[in-house]
Amino acid sequence: MKGGAWTWGAYAALLLALPLVFRSGFAMSLFCQAGIVAIFALSYNMLLGQTGLLSFGHAVYYGLGALFTIHALNLAAAGWHLPVTLMPLVGAASGLAFGIVLGYVTTRRAGTTFAMISLGVGEMVAACSLMFPGFFGGEAGISGNRSTGEPFLGITYGPQIQMYYLVAAWLLLSTAAMYALTRTPLGRMANAVRDNPQRAQFVGYDPQWVRFMMVALSGFFAGLAGGLAALNYEIVSAESLSAYTSGLVLLATYLGGIRSFAGPILGAVAVTLMQTVLASFTTAWPFYFGLVFLATVLFVPGGIAGVVHLHKRLWEARLLRRAAPVYARMALPVVVAFASGVVLVEMAYRASAGAPLKLAGWQLDARSSATWIAAVASFAVACLACRWAWRAAQPRWTEVSALIGEAR
Amino acid sequence: MTAAALELRGVEKRFGATEIVRGVDLRVEKGERHALIGPNGAGKSVLFNLISALFPLSCGSIALHGEPITGKRAYEVNRRGLSRSFQVTNLFHRMTVFENVRCALLWPLGHRYSFWRGVGRLADANRRAREVLDEIGLAARADVPAGILSYAEQRALEIGITIAGGADVILLDEPTAGMSRTETEAAVELIRRISRDRTLLIVEHDMSVVFGLADRISVLVYGRIIATGTPAQIRSDVKVREAYLGGAAHA
Repeated sequence: MKGGAWTWGAYAALLLALPLVFRSGFAMSLFCQAGIVAIFALSYNMLLGQTGLLSFGHAVYYGLGALFTIHALNLAAAGWHLPVTLMPLVGAASGLAFGIVLGYVTTRRAGTTFAMISLGVGEMVAACSLMFPGFFGGEAGISGNRSTGEPFLGITYGPQIQMYYLVAAWLLLSTAAMYALTRTPLGRMANAVRDNPQRAQFVGYDPQWVRFMMVALSGFFAGLAGGLAALNYEIVSAESLSAYTSGLVLLATYLGGIRSFAGPILGAVAVTLMQTVLASFTTAWPFYFGLVFLATVLFVPGGIAGVVHLHKRLWEARLLRRAAPVYARMALPVVVAFASGVVLVEMAYRASAGAPLKLAGWQLDARSSATWIAAVASFAVACLACRWAWRAAQPRWTEVSALIGEAR
Repeated sequence: MTAAALELRGVEKRFGATEIVRGVDLRVEKGERHALIGPNGAGKSVLFNLISALFPLSCGSIALHGEPITGKRAYEVNRRGLSRSFQVTNLFHRMTVFENVRCALLWPLGHRYSFWRGVGRLADANRRAREVLDEIGLAARADVPAGILSYAEQRALEIGITIAGGADVILLDEPTAGMSRTETEAAVELIRRISRDRTLLIVEHDMSVVFGLADRISVLVYGRIIATGTPAQIRSDVKVREAYLGGAAHA
């Protein structure tokens, strides 16, 4: 358990130290956003990675958690004594309550049927947001003010840094709780139900009940994340419980890696970076996001965590040096293919928008056919080179993978 | 008369218009090792699936220790002390060998759906899981994912999961199928050991295994039991000979 204690210590230290290193307001709001998505994605992976349930409606719990929290915040502003620090628990409790109610309906079946029912339930709840604008806030959403309460030990949650530490504390707590859950009888039986629901019955467990409990508990943490989002953004709109948000958490979780407990945290960070940093460079960022997701599904189904895990094992087996030539061979073609792909996307985008394009100091004319031909040609050649290089490198890669027992 | 460990009365199973099990009466006494044999397609595996409540009955009743279990769910039947293995290996393939066995112990040891106790601290489950691994000879493979075990090892784990929870009625579906001679001998030895003080119902094609292991044998042909008796009685039964020596077509 010593390695485990180190990991947790490093995790806590990182959360503590981040704002000391990156002080800008942009960084602070980025960290808050990433922390909230991390809790949300971890809760999603309780279903997808641990119980084998593909949900298309997980934002329901997140959005309802956010809504109840923003209403609680407004009640507090009206004089109720509700400490803001504990207010994410309002979101968690409502996430749990709806997890129990909706989970009872959705977990009647597993597999594709579960996915479809979760989509249907998600759409129904999203439809409610337009039917009952009083509670759901309609199109404009509901806003609140997190710093109206009495200061507690000087904490008002006015400055973003205080909000950051609130998110960090809840993130640390819920990560620990969700990790602990994987190591309980229920957590292990969730894995068992994922692997083989039939056999789970023949060791005395009702797979439907295991799924139901996991949906309810994951609703708790999704609601907690929603509660934090309500406090962080001080506004909750219909989007927070929409299919878009459900899709986003699926993408973040899968991108991070569903087979690893920490994967969703990495995925949340990656998605937040794309939504903020990448978005500040190019308005075509959702396109790149889609491409990255596609590449993950096709080439690295283990996600970011899977890649990290693979290299950790190569390192431990002292095989990194033997794998290095593969990277050396692949580097140039991949970089060129990537760069010309980016040029193509940006040119297409700018051509339609009619704006001039300047990439890394180069002025490119999206209206000249010569530029287009050059970009397409360079992309095609680089892709062919990638194939060729991979063919040459594959035997060595297979050999190295076989040595660490990573069957492909 | 004490209640039988397992008693089937007039059990029938139809899939659409096709009748697979056509009125089976079977009584397995407590502590008995009972083998179920018969030609391919006789309905042996279907009968197992009916007893273990994987499929609902079309007709008839089943009692476990004198209590009716007809219409119960598979996990309810399991909780009442009936455990089974599968003909096609049926494990939690991404979990380790140790986890596989421990999962089979959680319910019988009363840990139910607990999400507030760490499995690492369940001393009873961990100790017993290690004992079971010793018993089935997989202690050295405890931390390996079940999916990458060799075939014979997976079969042993299949038996381990089946017996771990301490069920007193055990159903084994072709436990030695696909095994080499030596592997079969080891498996038979294991089955002999684990079925001590328990009731065993076994489906098996290997006749040397059946006749070496069973106290009594039932012969199932076209969904009906045509004979039940000791190995010696079965060996000399005319109807059984007919069924096995190509007479099955008009049995």
